[in-house]
Amino acid sequence: MDAKQLDPILNNRGSEPYEIMEVLQDIQDLYGFLPEPALRAASASLGVPLIEVFRLANFYKAFSLKPRGRHLLTVCNGTACHVKGAPRLLDELMARLNIAPGETTADEAFTLETVNCLGACALGPVIVVDGVYYEHMDPSKLDGLLETVRSRDRELVPHA
Amino acid sequence: MPRMVTITVDGARILTPEGSNVLEAALEAGICIPNLCHVPGVTPLGACRVCVVEIIENGRRRLTASCTLEARDGMVIEAHSENVMRARRNIVELLLAEAPNSRAIQDLAARVGVTECRYPMRNNTCVLCGRCVRVCDEIWQSKSLGLVGRGPSRRVALPFDVRPDLCKRCNNCIQVCPMTITPCPGPLTEPAICARCESQTSMVENIPDTCVMCELGRGFQCARWQLKGLDARA
Repeated sequence: MDAKQLDPILNNRGSEPYEIMEVLQDIQDLYGFLPEPALRAASASLGVPLIEVFRLANFYKAFSLKPRGRHLLTVCNGTACHVKGAPRLLDELMARLNIAPGETTADEAFTLETVNCLGACALGPVIVVDGVYYEHMDPSKLDGLLETVRSRDRELVPHA
Repeated sequence: MPRMVTITVDGARILTPEGSNVLEAALEAGICIPNLCHVPGVTPLGACRVCVVEIIENGRRRLTASCTLEARDGMVIEAHSENVMRARRNIVELLLAEAPNSRAIQDLAARVGVTECRYPMRNNTCVLCGRCVRVCDEIWQSKSLGLVGRGPSRRVALPFDVRPDLCKRCNNCIQVCPMTITPCPGPLTEPAICARCESQTSMVENIPDTCVMCELGRGFQCARWQLKGLDARA
């Protein structure tokens, strides 16, 4: 973690205690998760007790205190996606990536998560990869999907 | 000087400062409302729900926690109706199932007349009453502890599970914790209702609504003892 990266966030927003949510969101965007030193810096800069920052980070599912992979795979497991076969997709992904939901692969490329509904039930089953929705997924499409993400990852991290 | 208001608790008219909470008003007046999470002088949280009472408004009755209920003029409260007693017994039964290894909770069970526990015993070490958190936050201005997480994963925690520099090691969090008083026979090996307070329970059945500064109140750190300036743990 580079502490200098935090300065623009804290300089732009970090003065009033009520801005803590925006600051946490920016930190999450910057690092992909909420590193402890960053939260300590935010707590000191905004004058919010550290325990409050910790509580917020724990309360919202959008925040993660654990490092996440470069690519976030979110499998929708809402009612509509569930009946259309989301559990099977999830099982396939878990087997292929060898991780459980909420975990990150050893090479830090993928984090797998589930969500309870995305409000896009007509597109179900839906998998969201880095914010892009892939609709009407079935296990046969997973290999292609993972391969596109992997090739993008190779551009991102050439020597990985 | 705050404006005084009159509230009616179990038919007794009580004069109390406006905005004070109904639980403390009733305890001051000698009416027994069992309570667990309440600490005098600290913001009520309404976490344990043991102090449940019935408030009668426009002929309607509804159950609510008395510690978070602000006294308003002309308020009518029933603290020992059939409905309240049933709800209170059930709440204490759930607390007992969660953490039987505490004299505070065993005494509460004896006070409200819980004789059996229909729920599976979990034998936890915390009932999330939030006493420690609020005392740390408000009396000591330390803000070292917090209730973290949601639903089943809610717990009392330190930030990043490390003791912060703000913690003065005053140990007040431990002193107010209902789990730190072991049941009279010692720590229970098998989670159960200890039910060794027969002498107290008969009195409970005869006068359920009057505070007699019972020994049970010491066990559950009843706010009455603290309001009188007595050490509830002596």
